[in-house]
Amino acid sequence: MSTFMLWLRKYQGWFGAAGGLLTATGLYLGLVASPPDYYQGEVVRIMYVHVPFAQSSLLAYTALFGASAWYLWKRDPLIDHVAHAAAGIGVFFTSAALVTGSIWAKPTWNTWWTWDPRLVSFTVLLLILIGYLMLRMFIDERERQARFAAILAIVGGIDLPIVKFSVEWWRTLHQPLSVSPRGVSYAGDMLTPLLIMAIGISLLFTYMLMVRTQLLYLRQLLDAKKGRLLSQAHL
Amino acid sequence: MSFIRAIGWIVWKDLVSELRSRESFSSMLFFALAVILIFSFSFSMDREAIKELIAGVIWVAFGFTGIIGLGKSFTVEMHNDCLEALQISPASKGAIYLGKLLANLLFILCVEVMLLPLFMIFFNLELLEKLPVLLVIMIGGTLGLSALGTLFSALTVQIRAREVMLPILLLPMAVPVFIGAVEATRGLLSGQPFDLYRPWIDLLLVFDVIFTIVSFWVIDFVLDD
Amino acid sequence: MAATVAIRAEGLSKSYRDYLVLQEVSFELAAGACYALFGPNGAGKTTLLKILATLQRPSAGRVQLLGRDLLADRTAVRGQLFFLAHGSHLYDDLNAVENLRFALGLRGVAPTGREIKLALDRVGIGAFADLKSRYFSAGMKKRLAMAKAWLIRPKLLFMDEAYASLDEKGMALVNLLIRESRQDGAAIFMSSHDRAKVAEVADRAGVLRQGRLHELPVTELRTAHELY
Repeated sequence: MSTFMLWLRKYQGWFGAAGGLLTATGLYLGLVASPPDYYQGEVVRIMYVHVPFAQSSLLAYTALFGASAWYLWKRDPLIDHVAHAAAGIGVFFTSAALVTGSIWAKPTWNTWWTWDPRLVSFTVLLLILIGYLMLRMFIDERERQARFAAILAIVGGIDLPIVKFSVEWWRTLHQPLSVSPRGVSYAGDMLTPLLIMAIGISLLFTYMLMVRTQLLYLRQLLDAKKGRLLSQAHL
Repeated sequence: MSFIRAIGWIVWKDLVSELRSRESFSSMLFFALAVILIFSFSFSMDREAIKELIAGVIWVAFGFTGIIGLGKSFTVEMHNDCLEALQISPASKGAIYLGKLLANLLFILCVEVMLLPLFMIFFNLELLEKLPVLLVIMIGGTLGLSALGTLFSALTVQIRAREVMLPILLLPMAVPVFIGAVEATRGLLSGQPFDLYRPWIDLLLVFDVIFTIVSFWVIDFVLDD
Repeated sequence: MAATVAIRAEGLSKSYRDYLVLQEVSFELAAGACYALFGPNGAGKTTLLKILATLQRPSAGRVQLLGRDLLADRTAVRGQLFFLAHGSHLYDDLNAVENLRFALGLRGVAPTGREIKLALDRVGIGAFADLKSRYFSAGMKKRLAMAKAWLIRPKLLFMDEAYASLDEKGMALVNLLIRESRQDGAAIFMSSHDRAKVAEVADRAGVLRQGRLHELPVTELRTAHELY
């Protein structure tokens, strides 16, 4: 068992506990204790989960991008597990962000979908992550799987800002920004629970990343053991 | 220099092979024809709808056609294990990439140009005076798609489920190219003054440069173990 | 002959899907020598050849080709090596001459028409110079690959199942190529199932069994009843 993995196992509990505590506090403050927004009523409460989800989704891609670049540089298979884990968790958070965003949008703008730069970018992000996971499914050889996946993650990371920029430009031409999530001004008492939730969910994300990385590592050890047994019963 | 010569050899080889077999060409052409027919049937009643949507229709047709051509670009290298020979060739992988990119650009543009008369006929478009600018937009959009597409074609040809993975990987990433190309085409076809939609063409060219450089930079990891 | 080491492998291992195909393969091959590799089907011969031909990376261990480390310096060596592989590396829509010109052009070599004709005649397919290689038989494709080798004159020659698809004359051609290359100072690493033919040209031999390389004295090629 590598020292890196042992380190992860040792400290994961702290992240999980801290994250859980902060998230619970934030949810209580946000859903129970704080007042409904003047304009948007109860539905604004979904921002307490939507914004942290979106943030963690970006955090996941940053981890994926960083780990992929590191892998291509150092070729450390353990870092590849971090990348793989980050992508999977990223799919969860991105989907959650998109769903909660839609739930907020329907009563607010009377539409499930709109050409908002961030909405489109997050959708493309989700598609890139799904493509990443599919790519890994279809390559058996571990080194090649890690290498190709890393390339995809890096090209995607460069592509995402370009996507966001092109939709922003498009939007300024076609739909002057009358209402957008940016237009939501947060009242003072909203800010505290939001901040607590943001930190809490980020910590939870880190906890999930640590756990999943170990899971992938152990699964690979198991496959290696199976393979060794197989090759001893060679021909 | 040998870098340029290597590019030349790849383009020559792809050109001669395609001229003789016409495999890519015919696949691309017939697929595009089917797409155009389906769209023309869908919009046959509403002339106003056509004006609004024709730019998008054109680029959907071009996009799907392009993906077929891009896929074939490297699947032809799988016959007789020719990809192996390219992988251990002393020629720079970047040169091989650029050669393939150029060949793809040429083929796909050729098919797109051949589709223009069909668009004129089925959708009653006046394209002749607009042709020079339209060609620039077509080159800009096709280059953007091909820059990433050639990279992903080289990648997906080495994995399972290659035909389905190329569009899955390419299309989300190519969103900026489609936005730029459709906007520029729409501006041109609806008779807007050039300066109004010109920024989109500039943007397309910037995207093309970025995507080509990134793919060129990364191709070594894809074509070499 | 000056014994410069052309190929050096140390602890070469390769795992594929966590299945250990090669285990701790180590050997040295001098320039001008010919190593013949034997082994049952699926033993890993092709994998070993592919790694040595710079097509794949080893999972562990070091390989040096012509004094250069495989992982650090591959492009420099590739101009000096040639791989006669299982696939013919030919483009179906190009004829023999065009295939040769392309393969050599990518290496920065521009043979004259006369040199090409000579090479094709030498391997016995001169009459088919203008035929699209789609119509070549497997044996003819092998011969065309040998014509490539003759024009390139590599310092490292790798052959996978050297005599496959060839008739008697074709096999004699392979041995002629090997002999002349050795005289030129090239090192040859080949796999085969044909002991008699190989014994004529090899001066080293080995068997790959369960991923491990066991060297054999060359005389055993003729005498041993069963190698694997």
